[in-house]
Amino acid sequence: MKRLLLYPILIALLLCTTSALFSAAKVGEAAPQFTATASDGKSYRLADYRGKYVVLEWHNNGCPYVGKHYKSGNMQRLQKEWTGRGVAWFTILSSAPGQQGYVTASEENEYVRKMQAAPTAALLDPTGQVGHLYDAKTSPQMIVINPQGAVIYDGAIDDKPTTDLEDVPGATNYVSLALEQAMGGKQVATTTTRPYGCSVKYGEATH
Amino acid sequence: MLVRRAIFGLSPIFQVSDAGAACCAPTNTKIAPERDFCRISFRNARLAFALGFVLLACATCTRAESTAIPHGTLELVAENQWITAGHDFNLGLHFELESGWHIYWINPGDSGEPPRVKWQLPAGLTAGALQWPTPRRLGTPSIVDFGYQDAVTLIVPMHAEANLGLREPGKIAAQVKVLVCREMCIPGSAQLSLALPVKSESSAPDARTRNLFIAARKALPRPAPTNWKFNLDEERGSFVLNANVGREINQANFFPLAESQISNAAAQKLVPAAAGFRLTLQKSDQLLKPIERLKGVLTLSDGGSYLIDVPFSKTGTAKN
Repeated sequence: MKRLLLYPILIALLLCTTSALFSAAKVGEAAPQFTATASDGKSYRLADYRGKYVVLEWHNNGCPYVGKHYKSGNMQRLQKEWTGRGVAWFTILSSAPGQQGYVTASEENEYVRKMQAAPTAALLDPTGQVGHLYDAKTSPQMIVINPQGAVIYDGAIDDKPTTDLEDVPGATNYVSLALEQAMGGKQVATTTTRPYGCSVKYGEATH
Repeated sequence: MLVRRAIFGLSPIFQVSDAGAACCAPTNTKIAPERDFCRISFRNARLAFALGFVLLACATCTRAESTAIPHGTLELVAENQWITAGHDFNLGLHFELESGWHIYWINPGDSGEPPRVKWQLPAGLTAGALQWPTPRRLGTPSIVDFGYQDAVTLIVPMHAEANLGLREPGKIAAQVKVLVCREMCIPGSAQLSLALPVKSESSAPDARTRNLFIAARKALPRPAPTNWKFNLDEERGSFVLNANVGREINQANFFPLAESQISNAAAQKLVPAAAGFRLTLQKSDQLLKPIERLKGVLTLSDGGSYLIDVPFSKTGTAKN
């Protein structure tokens, strides 16, 4: 019986140590490199986007905080505006199979079509590899990377950590702010915030 | 409580009805039938005595029905039978949750958000800050939240001004927004109300809510004893909390009141000392400015739970 207990403990230890060993993305430092397959079937390499601003958006279609930004059209608006200004925008789906927010490629394509979302690509990350690389805690956590490949913003999408649609219009959007300031040659004023939302569903055992 | 349950053992003879809403005038939208002893209509003459009994119970009705929230119920409760003008009193927000579901502490941790209340109060009544019981650590190895499972009561200290009108009952209403999570999260909203008589004589406790308030107080962290000494330092990306509590401590856990000070998921490394312990808390990546003090709840191996407020880098006494 005791042996049976040993394995989950070992796995838990392994998970704890791996996340500690490979230090996650930090603002001001180089964004960790990754390659991921998108719902369009293509493979995307972060390294190919050197010279461009890149936005990473953690996504889970069942999360009410994500729902706030999609139902209000806020996320789609941001995606259209910034990709229109030359930014590469990756929606990242780190839910493990069986967890809320896990979708197949065709389900994600259907979602993007239905919601009229406009990311550069929706990256499927069911192993949570990219999520852990960036220590993504919530959906919708947002990361902004500059053309030199450094993380310039990591945190919440805006300053209203709620699920209320009516909070969208009056919110200060940290992603837009960081992009505007960086593109304008200014220092990004708010580089790190608490990324509000639902926990990313990596499929780890709960406490 | 037992008496009420016994009455509801006969529930088929009572019917929930708005026509019978005169006695406590609760305006909750959804009603848990088992607590609905204020809204019944008389269906069977043989049971008139039972109705009489219920009306008697309603004469001092300070317990409204519970309102449904996602995977649970929420109830606005009062500790006393009436409000005494010019005196403080306590209300409580009592949450009951289905197994496995949780709500959040004032600092929710890595995800989620605490319940928020918007009060609608008559002139002369003011609501103080919610009192938060000691939370538990929830979540997964990499994402850690702080919150409550099963049941929790958040006490709300209230103040009634001396000129509060005695004729009309104090109508208290609150809109509560709450996020209820398991593996997934569901936002909920509840409109609660409670009408309490206002009297000039000193208030009497309500026997029906007595145990709830006793349990709620027991669950609150206590101010750390004044003779305990704490010292807060930093060391390679971590805060180091040294505590002298007069005895060796082998296990301790710190819950920060403010978000984004320490890494919630990082292990809190404890080294026992002869008269206390040394606890290493990894700083949060979201912490950009130096902090002046660390405030939070410290739980010790003996089950004790204490509020501490330790100023940075000079020996200080824990303050409430």
